Amino acid sequence: MKHYLVIQLARFGDLVQTKRLVATLAARPDSRVHLCLDRSLEPLARLVYPDAILHPVTAHGTGLDGPEAVRAMLVDNRRAFADMRAVGFERVYNLNFSGLNFRLAALFDPDTVEGYAWKDGQELISPWAAMAMRWSDHRRLSINLVDFWAAYCPDAIAPQRVNPPASGRDDGRGDGRGGGLGGGLGVVLAGRESRRSLPVEVLARVVGTVARARGVGRVVLLGGPGERAAGQAMLKELPPAVQAMTRNVAGQTGWADLVEIVGSLDLLLTPDTGTMHLAAHLGTPVLAFFLSSAWCFETGPYGEGHVVHQATAPCLPCLETRPCDHGLQCLGPFADPGYPRFLATGNPDHAPGGLLACQSRFDALGQTYAPMIGSDPDAEQRAGFRQFILSHLTGDHDSIRKGLSDMDTLMAQRVHRERDWITTAPMRTITE
Amino acid sequence: MKTLRILVVLPLYGGSLPIGRYVATALKDMGHLVEIFEAPEFNSAYDCLRKLRVTTDRLDYLQNSFLNVVSQSVLAKVETFEPDLVLAMAQAPLNHQALKRLRRDGVTTAMWFVEDHRLFTYWKSFAPFYDIFAVIQKEPFLSDLEAIGQPNALYLPLAALPDFHRPIDLDPVERRRFGSDVSFMGAGYPNRRAAFRQLVHLDLKLWGTEWEGDHVLEPLVQMRGARVSSEECVKIFNATRINLNLHSSIQADQLVTGDDFVNPRTFELAACGAFQLVDTRSLLGEAFADDELATFTSMDELIAKIDHFLANPEECHAITERGRARVLKDHTYHARMQALLDFTASRIQDWPRDRDTATPDPDFPPELRDEIRQLLARLGLPEDVSFADLVWSLRQQQGTLSELDTAILFLDEWRKLYAKRC
Repeated sequence: MKHYLVIQLARFGDLVQTKRLVATLAARPDSRVHLCLDRSLEPLARLVYPDAILHPVTAHGTGLDGPEAVRAMLVDNRRAFADMRAVGFERVYNLNFSGLNFRLAALFDPDTVEGYAWKDGQELISPWAAMAMRWSDHRRLSINLVDFWAAYCPDAIAPQRVNPPASGRDDGRGDGRGGGLGGGLGVVLAGRESRRSLPVEVLARVVGTVARARGVGRVVLLGGPGERAAGQAMLKELPPAVQAMTRNVAGQTGWADLVEIVGSLDLLLTPDTGTMHLAAHLGTPVLAFFLSSAWCFETGPYGEGHVVHQATAPCLPCLETRPCDHGLQCLGPFADPGYPRFLATGNPDHAPGGLLACQSRFDALGQTYAPMIGSDPDAEQRAGFRQFILSHLTGDHDSIRKGLSDMDTLMAQRVHRERDWITTAPMRTITE
Repeated sequence: MKTLRILVVLPLYGGSLPIGRYVATALKDMGHLVEIFEAPEFNSAYDCLRKLRVTTDRLDYLQNSFLNVVSQSVLAKVETFEPDLVLAMAQAPLNHQALKRLRRDGVTTAMWFVEDHRLFTYWKSFAPFYDIFAVIQKEPFLSDLEAIGQPNALYLPLAALPDFHRPIDLDPVERRRFGSDVSFMGAGYPNRRAAFRQLVHLDLKLWGTEWEGDHVLEPLVQMRGARVSSEECVKIFNATRINLNLHSSIQADQLVTGDDFVNPRTFELAACGAFQLVDTRSLLGEAFADDELATFTSMDELIAKIDHFLANPEECHAITERGRARVLKDHTYHARMQALLDFTASRIQDWPRDRDTATPDPDFPPELRDEIRQLLARLGLPEDVSFADLVWSLRQQQGTLSELDTAILFLDEWRKLYAKRC
C-alpha cells in the first residue's frame, strides 16, 4: 500500500479545488490518500473526500486566544504531526505558499515533497510551483487551479472524471445524468473578498430576473453569519413575488446542510466562492459572476457546462488587497440597467459592454471557458500558453494548438529560468 | 550579558578557518545563538574558475562576480538571522559593497584579523569598514589602524579551545604513528627548513604541508606532506615528547625572528598539556610566565634545550602543568570572545540593541514543560531563552524534524500570520 499526503491548509474553495489531485492519487493502484487540512474544514472534507484519511490541524486564526492557540499548536497539532510522521508517505504534495506549509514540511524528507519543502532550515520551492509563480504576472492567460495542482502528478486523471457535468447532477444512479431536483435557485451573497461580490441592490435585480425567467418556485440565500444582514437587506430589495419564495439561511447552515441544499438546487448564482466549487463538485449548474480579482480562467467552476459572466476590463484581474484606481469599472456590466434584460433573454445584442459570457469546457490540459457572448481578446494567446504548458507536462505538442511560433520562445523565456535547465532535473525524463 | 545572535563568517580557506570554527564553538558554549556562514563550501566552485583557460580580464570579471554572489549570500543570511554581531574571520568573503550595506543597515560588524599585518597588507582597504577590528599584534599596527580611520582596534591574541585542545589517551598504534622524541607540525617556511636541517640526527617527524623539494627533510615528512586535520594535530601534540614551535618567517637568514605575535600553536600545545619549545616573541611574556613555557632565542639554545628536556621528562611535566593551567585561566577562545563582546559593548552605542518585544513569548502548556526543558538542553539553550531564539535554533537542525520541533516552528509562523495574539 502506498500512502500519499496532500497538505491543503487554505480555505473552503481551495479544499474542493484539490479534487483532481486527490482523485488522481486515489486512482493509483494500491494507494491510500491522506489529507492534511485546517480543522474547521474537517466536516466538509469528510463529505467531499469520504475515502481520504484526514489529518486536521489548527492552521487558521479564527477564534483562538493566546493560550488556546499555543495548546492547539503544541498539543493537538503535534499529535497530528506525529500521526503523519509515522505513516511513511511515498510522496507529499504541499500545496500552499505559506510559512505554515514550509514548516509542516520539516516532518518529511524533502526529496519526497512536491511544492513547498524544507531542507535543513531552508525553504525550497519545487520547479512546477516556481513556474506558476512566474506566470502569475500574466494571470489573464493562467490555467485553472484544479489543473495546476493535479499537474504535480504526470498521471493526472482526465478532467472529465473530476466532477459531474452541470447539465445533470449525479443523483446516485451513477450515470451522471441526474434530473433536476427542483430545489430552485441558490444565491451566494458574498465571497470572502468583498470586491469580488455584487452589491446587494445589483444582486437583487439579478436574482429577481433569473427567478422569474426560470420560473423557479424557491430561492435560497446562502452565506455565513457575516452575510445574514446582507441577506435580510436583499430580501427587501426583491420583487414581492420573488421575496415570498425566498428564504435567507445565511449563517444557519452547517457543512452537511450546505451540501444538501446546494446539491438539490437547479441553479446556483454566485461570485467566486467555496460554495461555487462545492456546487461544481456536486454537479449543480452554476451561473457565476467574476470581477475584480476573480478570473474564471484561474478559479472558475470546474466541470462541463457551467456558465460564467466574466468582466473583461483591461485592469483585470486585479489584487483585492490593493485599492481600485479605476472606479470599480469591472462592476459596470453587472450594474448596467440592461444586464437583467440580457439575463432574461440571453440575446447577445442585449449584453452590456465589458462582459464575456462563457461556458466551461475541457481541452487536453483541463478546464477552460469558451466564449458564448462577447469577445475574449486573450483567447489566442491563452491557447498558445495552454499548449505550451501541456507540452511541458506531457510532451503533447498539438492537441490545443498546432505549430510553434515566436510566442513559444517568448513564453519559454518568461516561464523558465536558466537555472531550471542548468541545475534541476526535468519533471519527466526519458529514463523514467 | 544576554544571549546574542552572532553570525560567524568563515573564510573560503586558510589559517583563520579552524580558528573561526573554535570561535563559533566558544560562542555557543557561552550561550549565544550562533549561525555560521560556511564559505569553504563555495571554495571548490571558486577554484574551478581558475581552471577555465580564459583571458585574464574574463577571469578577473568572473572571480569578482562570484565573490559578489558569496557576499550577497552573507547579506541574505544577515537579513534572515538578524544578528547582533557579524563576526568575520580574516579573509572572510565580504566585499566593500556588502560591508557598506551592513553599515547602512545598522548591523554591527567585527573582524578578528588573525594574520600578520606585515604580510597580509590588504587590511588597509577594508579595516575602516568594520565597526570593530581585533588584531593579534600591537604597535605600530594599532596606531596605523587609527590613522586610516579605524578607531575601534582591539589587541586580541589567539587562544585554545579547552574541550578540543586537551590531554588525550592514545592507543599504542596511535602513539607509534603520531609519536616521536621531537616533532614539528606546520608549513615548511624557509626559516623552519633551515632550522630543522640541523636536527635530522634526532628522532624527528615533520607534519604538515609545503615541505616539498628538500631532500634532507623530505624523509622526515609524515603523511606525504598532506594537510593534517585539527584532530590529528591534537594527537601529534599529545604523542610527542618535545613539540617544536618555531614561528614562521619567509626569509631564512634569521631562523629565530623574535617578532611580536604569538601563534595559535603556542596556546593549543599548552592546552593539550604537551611540552613545547617555542621561540621567544615580544608578546609572549604577557601571555605566559617564564616557568609556564620553555623558550629559546637561537638555534644553539634550541639544540641544547632539546637535549636537556629529553633527559629530564619530569621537568617537562612541571612546565606543561603550569602552562596548561595558565591557558585554561586566561587564554581560551571563550575568554577572547568575552573580551571582544565587552569591547564592542563599550565602543558601540546602544549595543546590543533591544529586540522587538511587543509580542510576549508564549507560555508552554504545563504538560509539555519537561519535554521543552529536554529540548532546550539538547539544543544547548538556557531555560530563559527567548521564543525567537528557540525557533532559530530549531531551524538550524539538519534533516527531518520531530513533531514537537515542527509544532513549535508552526506556532511561530501562525503567530506571524494571526496578529501575534499569543
